[in-house]
Amino acid sequence: MQDTGKNIIIAGVGGQGILLFSNLLSKFYMKLGYELKISDVIGLGQRGGGVESHFRYSNKPVLSPFIKAGDVDYVISFEQTETLRFLHCLKDDGIIFTSTFELSSTSVNTGLQKAMPESKTEIIKRSENKKFIIDPDEHKSPDFNISKMMNVVMLGYYAEFRAYSHDDMIQIVRENVPEKFVEGNIKAYKMGTMIAVGELVAK
Amino acid sequence: MKMMNGNEAVARGAFEAGVKVAAGFPGTPSTEVMDYTQHRYPDIYCEWSTNEKVGLEVAIGASFAGYRSLAIMKTVGLHVAADALGGAAGSQINGGLVLVVGDDVGRIAGDDYNDVRHYGNMFNIPVLEPSDSQEAKDLMVRAFEISEEYSTPVILKITSVTCKTTGRVLIDEDYAYEVKCREKYPVSFSKVIMTTIMMKAKGSEHPKLTKCFNDFPAHMKRLAEDSNDFDINKLELNGKKIGVITAGTPYYYVKEVLPEASVLKLGLVMPLPEKMIRELAQHVEKLYVIEDGHDILEKNIKDLGISVIGKELFPKFPEMTRFTPDIIEEKLVPGAPKRTPQEGVPFRLPVSCAGCSHLFISQILRKHKIKAAADVTCGLIGCFPHMESYSLQKCMGSSIALAHGYNIAKDHKENFVAMIGDGGFWATGINGLMNLIFNDSQSTVIIVDNSCLAMTGGQNVASSEFGFNYKAENKLDIAKVCEAIGVKDIVTVDAYEFKNLEESILNAVNAKTNSVVIVKKPCVTKFKLPKDTPSYIDQDLCSKCRKCINVGCLAIESKRKNGSVEIVINEDICTGCGLCSTVCHTEAIKN
Ligand SMILES: Cc1ncc(C[n+]2csc(CCOP(=O)(O)OP(=O)(O)O)c2C)c(N)n1
Ligand code: SF4
Ligand code: SF4
Repeated sequence: MQDTGKNIIIAGVGGQGILLFSNLLSKFYMKLGYELKISDVIGLGQRGGGVESHFRYSNKPVLSPFIKAGDVDYVISFEQTETLRFLHCLKDDGIIFTSTFELSSTSVNTGLQKAMPESKTEIIKRSENKKFIIDPDEHKSPDFNISKMMNVVMLGYYAEFRAYSHDDMIQIVRENVPEKFVEGNIKAYKMGTMIAVGELVAK
Repeated sequence: MKMMNGNEAVARGAFEAGVKVAAGFPGTPSTEVMDYTQHRYPDIYCEWSTNEKVGLEVAIGASFAGYRSLAIMKTVGLHVAADALGGAAGSQINGGLVLVVGDDVGRIAGDDYNDVRHYGNMFNIPVLEPSDSQEAKDLMVRAFEISEEYSTPVILKITSVTCKTTGRVLIDEDYAYEVKCREKYPVSFSKVIMTTIMMKAKGSEHPKLTKCFNDFPAHMKRLAEDSNDFDINKLELNGKKIGVITAGTPYYYVKEVLPEASVLKLGLVMPLPEKMIRELAQHVEKLYVIEDGHDILEKNIKDLGISVIGKELFPKFPEMTRFTPDIIEEKLVPGAPKRTPQEGVPFRLPVSCAGCSHLFISQILRKHKIKAAADVTCGLIGCFPHMESYSLQKCMGSSIALAHGYNIAKDHKENFVAMIGDGGFWATGINGLMNLIFNDSQSTVIIVDNSCLAMTGGQNVASSEFGFNYKAENKLDIAKVCEAIGVKDIVTVDAYEFKNLEESILNAVNAKTNSVVIVKKPCVTKFKLPKDTPSYIDQDLCSKCRKCINVGCLAIESKRKNGSVEIVINEDICTGCGLCSTVCHTEAIKN
């Protein structure tokens, strides 16, 4: 086991399947024999609030359920406003994986708070950290609704980036999503790996 | 070995403790303790009671019958059940009696500036606090043993962090459930009876007197003494510079941020192991208390005459009620780097699910400027500044009595309306209704019958058509109960019939009598109601008045597109309920 472990923040808004993502990932790392702690911070998620999951795997017992700002290896985010909330938590060599999807904030929708003057994607691009940005609009597919399955797309992307066994990961997807969604999920997963292959080569 | 979150682990602990009865009322973060217990361990009788007080009383009765019993609630729920706990505290316990109470520290999702440990101090009963899932399971079993050994109810404090953190739990896969029964005491009375007997009959050994008497202060003294040897309190003597007394998840923050520190980790946070604390105090130069919630350990330790540093360094309330590793590092690790978050990232005000019946009611109240009180329900979104449908909102079940109080004070010159959920109604709101009837008041009550406790995830209520112990013949009928109570004017309407609903509410408000409007529509999220074709906004007609946004529906967004702002409906979220089109004066919203 060369990789001694990582601290990951998984972020997004209610309904994006963040808990499924962290659940699938946890199954994977458990199989590899890692110790894990996963802490879910759920706002009023069902109603458009932010959701964040602190995901830690390690070859030693994990102590704190929360990752300290500055100790985050990866921010994996499904919504770009939420991505912005965690940029400062990354290590210097930490990496951002984010969707450009945006669920506008109610406080801005209703005029109670100012919108950010700048494009959020641009702010993310300017970050000194390494980043991988997926625009779901560029990857629409007739086989599944990418806006609902970004979580599994991202899982494929992440697995490719880490050079993990896709067979193992797909097996975990198979075992953990309801029967009738398995095929769609696997397609989404493969789409994620393909986007990653393209980008990783480009970089 | 299994991965479990704190709630799952507590349920497993209940199973391994041989619990027979679990009763309670939902509340974040501990609701799932009951769900897991009911789903996984069918040997245990489970019920969602009408409210926490009833739930705890059920558990107390079962405990007197000799069986290990469990009451589940959040800390605000224990406020409701506090009288029942006061009755049980200090009395004879047959089957272990444990309350699992969730503190929503940090207000991650809830409404809490509460700390359940106050009840430990007030009623002189033990409180246990786990730091992770493994301990949640183990302490659960321990709690029952302590309850029986020291004849006392025991509180297991869990928090939003322990409840929602998943970690490894070692379990005995082959464990076979074994119900525990212990009928030690023939009677069990509240302290009033015991103290009366004690005062009248000093020195008498007559069994008729002694059987009623439970020397509870002595039990607690013995527990405090014994706790110095409990393995659930761990004294880790390391460096001499810094000592920390801690409990719960902050223990792990301390271990990570201050690996050199000497630490006393309390599993039993009340009563305190005095000897251990003194030993640590002598070992270190500086002694800190790091505890989530209020400064309770700190005060209790100071009461022992031991000086510790707590809130003077880590200001509590209202600045901080939940620790993070970052806070500890900032204060106790010199030169720790400071990280500043991105500026100006907007926050998210809560909104309702698309198609929610509450939005229809909020909209009608706002449209007609009807003053109203909201209860604790999904509908309280209508209190937020983007909606402004309600002007008064307090605790669960309160809105009916709040409105009654307002109306009598104003000599019924206004009709201040109460909105309440079906859950809030059965919980305690029904008392408010009985009260206003027999006190000859006139008020209008809107009961939102969505067939569940929606805000906590859709648990059953007395009028639901599902639930742990559901039988059609036992389902309570809101309209019939209101009628029996004596409400003069009762109508039932479908939330989606906007005109009809509007008229019904206006009629009720204007009638000079007491009235109930029952608004029926199953919670769209819990019951996954089928969706209609989503609505869309014709951008050529939209005047950007933003009225539709203030309807409070999750599906309506304002989006920047090519430099200008568009109001759009998210078609993945919209249910096509049509509410937003009722507010659009340019008829831009189409279906
Ligand atoms: C005393 C108390 N117990 C429990 C809770 C947690 N809680 C908040 S909302 C809610 C459910 C409300 O259900 P209902 O009244 O039916 O309204 P709905 O959300 O379904 O509209 C519960 C149990 C609380 N806030 N206070
Ligand atoms: S959970 Fe149900 S009651 Fe609550 S906002 Fe959503 S639809 Fe409305
Ligand atoms: S029709 Fe309007 S109010 Fe109803 S769900 Fe769709 S966007 Fe929301």
